[in-house]
Amino acid sequence: MNNRVQSPCDQILQTLVLFIDHELPSEKEYQVYLNHFQECPECYQEMMHESTAIAFLKELLQMNCNEQAPQELHDRILQQTEVLAGQSQVEFFSTSTTITNFSFDGTTSIQITQEFTQEIRHDFTEGQ
Amino acid sequence: MGVAYAVMDANNSEVAVVDRATESVAQKKARFERDALQYTNQLYAAAMRYTKNPHDAQDLVQDVYAKAFVAFHQFEPGTNLKAWLYRILTTTFINTYRKDQRRPQISDGELEDWQIFDAASHTSDQGRSAEDVALDGIVDVDVRAALAAMPEDFRMVVYLADVEGFSYKEIAEIVGVPAGTVMSRLHRGRKLLRASLAAYAKDRGFNRAGSDE
Repeated sequence: MNNRVQSPCDQILQTLVLFIDHELPSEKEYQVYLNHFQECPECYQEMMHESTAIAFLKELLQMNCNEQAPQELHDRILQQTEVLAGQSQVEFFSTSTTITNFSFDGTTSIQITQEFTQEIRHDFTEGQ
Repeated sequence: MGVAYAVMDANNSEVAVVDRATESVAQKKARFERDALQYTNQLYAAAMRYTKNPHDAQDLVQDVYAKAFVAFHQFEPGTNLKAWLYRILTTTFINTYRKDQRRPQISDGELEDWQIFDAASHTSDQGRSAEDVALDGIVDVDVRAALAAMPEDFRMVVYLADVEGFSYKEIAEIVGVPAGTVMSRLHRGRKLLRASLAAYAKDRGFNRAGSDE
């Protein structure tokens, strides 16, 4: 790498993808880019080129990654939900009465699922 | 905790009140079928990208819905259900389906310098030509093959961003990496994909020219 000082163009181009993806943190940031594009036709051109390429890529991917799930899978999931709904009566019971129900059959699986659900919830509430 | 949640649908029109503490199993099941099962096709297409074969993709999606149902009373109504399901899809895939596969691991450390991958200067018109071969000859198998050939970490992020439209922050939560890593993987992944699609297009161009006679 060379040691040259970063020009305004360098700074804009390095984070161009944030502008294109609408991932800049504030309106003020967008204005910095827009102001620069007015002064610098090369950067503007680069931004247009990249936006077009990314938009085209998205379109291409969306057109070709839209497989429909086979009917068999829909059926399997519905059936599975029925079975799990039957089982989860036990789970609700165990949640409300805690220790008394630990002698029930299938306790092991209940404990695992509860750990799992807590993990998922934890991850999502933190990020909100 | 008898907190009731007002839930709006996508059009902000229909309002349902959910009290998860007193909800019966039958109500939970109905809510699950109404809200969660609509994503089956989308999750299946994503699972196809992850596992690369219909058999594993079906098993994976079924697995996701089993876990989602069991965990559904923990899901906060009104928050992003689709992202929640994709999070389960991705962690299940990583923990179960990928476990035995040997694959070259991508070190995140080297990706953090994502800026340097993009030359921080204006690209000359000649410099672009390789990427910008007309892609009109591209067909669906090319797109799927090009995606399948990408390193998994890149493939996931590109798919989640460019097909599903998730934000960097959502993808960070789904994949379980920092947003900066999402950005670097997306940036590099798109570049790889563009280059590889251009190669397919060029190839087809040659084949067409050669077989026209």
